[in-house]
Amino acid sequence: MNAALGHSGVLLGLAASIVGVAVIALGLARNRPDLARTGRLYAALVLGGAVIATVAMERALITHDFSLAFVAANNSRSTPLLYTVTGMWSALAGSILLWGLILAGYIVAMVWRFRRQAADPLVAWATLVTLVVAAFFFGLMAGPADPFRTVTGAVPANGLGPNVLLQDNALVAFHPPILYLGFVGFTIPFAFAIASLITGRIGEGWQLATRRWTLFAWAFLTVGIVLGAWWSYQVLGWGGFWAWDPVENASFLPWLCATAYLHSVLVQERRGLLRVWNLSLVIATFSLTILGTFLTRSGVIESVHAFSDSDIGPLLLGFFGAVMATGVGLIAWRGDRLRSPGGIDSVVSREGAFLANNLLFVAFAFVVLLGTVFPLLYEAFRGQQVTVGAPYFNAMTLPIGLALLFLMSIGPALPWRKTSVGTLRDRLTVPAWVGGLVIVGCVVGGVRGLGPLVAFGLGGFAAAANGRQLVLSARGAHRSGAGVWRGLVGRANGGMVVHLGVVVIAVALAAATSFGHRSEVTLRPGQVVSSDGHRIKFIGLTQIRTPARTATEALVMVDGHGPLLPAVSQYGQNSEAVGTPAIDSSLEDDVYLTVDALPVKAGGRVTLGVTVQPLVMWLWGGGLLLVLGSALAAVPGKRRRPTDPVSAPVPATEAGDGSTGSGDVHDDRAPAPPPDRHDVDSEEPGDDKHVHEPVPAGSP
Amino acid sequence: MPWVALVVVVAVALGLGASRGGAPLTSTQRADAIDALVRCPSCEGISVADSSASTAVAIRHTVLARVRAGQSDGQIDAFLVSRYGPGILLRPPAHGWTTWVWVLPPAAVVVAVAGLVTVLWRRRQRGAVSVSDEDRALVDQALADRSRSLARSPKPAPTP
Repeated sequence: MNAALGHSGVLLGLAASIVGVAVIALGLARNRPDLARTGRLYAALVLGGAVIATVAMERALITHDFSLAFVAANNSRSTPLLYTVTGMWSALAGSILLWGLILAGYIVAMVWRFRRQAADPLVAWATLVTLVVAAFFFGLMAGPADPFRTVTGAVPANGLGPNVLLQDNALVAFHPPILYLGFVGFTIPFAFAIASLITGRIGEGWQLATRRWTLFAWAFLTVGIVLGAWWSYQVLGWGGFWAWDPVENASFLPWLCATAYLHSVLVQERRGLLRVWNLSLVIATFSLTILGTFLTRSGVIESVHAFSDSDIGPLLLGFFGAVMATGVGLIAWRGDRLRSPGGIDSVVSREGAFLANNLLFVAFAFVVLLGTVFPLLYEAFRGQQVTVGAPYFNAMTLPIGLALLFLMSIGPALPWRKTSVGTLRDRLTVPAWVGGLVIVGCVVGGVRGLGPLVAFGLGGFAAAANGRQLVLSARGAHRSGAGVWRGLVGRANGGMVVHLGVVVIAVALAAATSFGHRSEVTLRPGQVVSSDGHRIKFIGLTQIRTPARTATEALVMVDGHGPLLPAVSQYGQNSEAVGTPAIDSSLEDDVYLTVDALPVKAGGRVTLGVTVQPLVMWLWGGGLLLVLGSALAAVPGKRRRPTDPVSAPVPATEAGDGSTGSGDVHDDRAPAPPPDRHDVDSEEPGDDKHVHEPVPAGSP
Repeated sequence: MPWVALVVVVAVALGLGASRGGAPLTSTQRADAIDALVRCPSCEGISVADSSASTAVAIRHTVLARVRAGQSDGQIDAFLVSRYGPGILLRPPAHGWTTWVWVLPPAAVVVAVAGLVTVLWRRRQRGAVSVSDEDRALVDQALADRSRSLARSPKPAPTP
C-alpha cells in the first residue's frame, strides 16, 4: 500500500516534469505562448507527486511498515516518534525524496512569482530548466535510488533503526531540511541564468530579479551549516565543530560561490559590469551543489556523513558534467553579448573591493575543492593514499580569511568609482584605531601568537567599520524622522549586521583553534583535578535505561556547578556504543567532557576527556547575527530600482531634476536661456522629451 | 600623522605578542604539536590529539616516547609513515607529487591577479582609443542641449 502510493507519487512527479519539459519546449520552438505558459500546471503536478511520495514515506515510517527496505533499514519499533519522522532523511533514498519535495516547492513558488510574465520566453525557458532538474531527481527515485523498494523475502519483524548518530539529538529535525532549503534554492537563479543565456537577453536585469532568491537560499545554507557545526559539536564527542570533512566542504563550496555572487551582483546592479562573471558564479554555485551530492552520496570519499553508499554516483557525476558543459558552452556561445558597456575607473573603489572579494572567495573555494578531491586524484594517478586534513586547510585558508576581514573593514567605507585619501581618512581612522587598541589590549591581557593577534585586531577593525555604517544609517533615519529602525533594515544595513556576525565567528574560530586544548584525566569517585584552569570533580557513575537507549553516565562537577553527565550510550540491542559528550558553556570558554574509558570494576577509576576551548559560544552568537542580518536584509529598505540610471545629474539643474521634471517647478537659480536665439526654434519640439527623460532618476 | 602612530603601536604590540616567551617547548608540548598533525587511523579524518580511540592513544604514547628519546619531528613522521603509510599524516608533505596541493592555489591566485590586471588595463587602453573627436562632439552637444532645455523648462512659455 505504502509502496504503491509512494511509487505512484514518484512516477507522477517524473511524468509531469518530462511532459512539462516537452510541452514547454514545443511551445518555444513553434512560438506558441499558449503552450509555453503551461509551466504552472506541470509545476503543481510535480509538487503533488512529491507530496504524495512524502506522505507515503512518513506513513510507512510511523506505522513501522518494514515491508519497505528503506523503513526496515532506518526505523525500528523502539525508535521515538521524532526520529521516526526524521528517518526519512537518515539515508540516501529518503534524502533524495526530501530534495525532490523542496525542489518542487521552489518550482511552484517560482512559477507563481513570475505568473504574469509566464508567456515570456525567458520565464518559459527558466521553468523548463527547473523541470529538467526535477526530472533528473525524480528519475533517480524511479530507478537507482528508489525509496519505496520492498524487501525481498519475508517482512522482518523489526527494523534496524536509524544510524546511532542520527537519534541522539533533536537537531536532526532541523539541520538537514534547512541545509536542503539552501542547496536546492540555488536551482532558481541557475535556471534564470541559463534562460537569459539561451534567449540572449543578458542586460535586462533578470539576474537582479532573482537575486533575492539567491539571498534566501544563501541564508538557509548559512543557517544549515552553522547548525551542522553545532550538532557535530554536541554529538560527535571530539570537541570540535568543523573537521574539514568532505561533506562539510561540500556544503561550504556552494556557500563560498554564492557569497561571492551576492557581492559581485551589486557591481552589476550599480555599474553594469561583471555580467559573464556573475552568470559563471551562479552556474558554479548550482554545479557545486550537485558535485557535493556526488562526493557525499557516491561513497568515493570516506566521511562521517556517508550514512549509506549507493550506485547513483556515476549518474550524479554525469549530471554535474552536463550542467558544467551547458553552462560553459552557453557562456562561450553568448560571449559577444555579455560584454559590459563600461570599465573600472580605479582599483581603490567599491567595485575594486568587490573584485578583490571575489578573487579571495574563489581562491578559498579552490583551496577547499582541491583539498577535498586531491586524495581521490592522488590515489587514482599514483595508487597511494594521502590525507589532506585540517592542518592543510587551516594553513591555506588563514591568510585568505585575514585578507577577507581586512576587505570587510575597508570595503563599506570605499565609495563607488574612485576615492580620495581624505575620504578614507575620515571614514577609517577611528575603526583602524579600534583594531589597533584591540591588539594592544590582547597583548597586555597575555594573549600570545601572531595569527590570533592579527585576527583579533582585524576583527576589531572590521566590527568598528561596519558598526560605524550602521550607526550613521540609524542616525540618518532618525534625523529624517523615520525612526531608528528604518536605518537598520534594507539590504545594505542587513549586510552590515551579517558582517558583524562574520566578525564574531572569525574571532571565535581564531580563539578556539589557537588556544583550545584537550587532555585526559583519570579519576576515582570523589577525586578533584585541575585541568586548563578548571576544577573537575568526578562524583560517580549511574546507569540509564530507556526503551531506545542504555547508557552509563558519569556525574562530574565543573568549577562547583553541575552535575554534567557525559556518557557512553548504546542505541538498540546490537549497535556499537557511542560517547555522549556534556558541555559546560560560558561566554568565556567551554569545558567539553567525554567518557574516554569506563572502569573495569565497580567503583574504579574513570578516564575523562577534558577539552577547554575559549569563545565557542561566540560561534553560535555569530550564527544568530547572520540570521538576524539576513532577515533585516529581506525587509525592503530604501532601494534603488535596478534599472535606474546612477550617473550624477547635470550640476546646474540638480534641484529641478530631482524634484519633478514635469516642467511646472519654477527654479529661480536656473541659468538664463542662451543668447543665440536661432537655436531655440529648432529645439522646441524636442524640449518636452528632454524634460521628461530624467523622471526615472528622480522619482522614488 | 595618526596613521604613522597607529602603525608603530600595532608593530610594537605584535612584536611583543608574537614571541611565546622564549622558553623551549617541553616534551609534552612538542608531542601535543605532533599529535595534532597525525591522523587517527580508526576515525573519520580527525587527529590522534582529538581522539580517544585505542589506536590514537597508542600513537600518542609512541610519539611522546620518541620525543623524550630526542628524535626530531622529521624522524617521528618518517617512523609513522613507515608503519602506517603516507596517509597517516594529516598534512600532505611538501615534496614529491603532494607539493602540487600546496603550490596550485597560490599559483592560481597569481595567475588570476595577472589576468585581471591585463584585462582591466587592456579595457582602459581600448576605452581611450575608441572615443573619436566626432563622438566627443556629439556628447558635448547632447549635454549642452540637455542643460539648456532643463534650464528653460522651469519657466514654461513666459511669453507666447
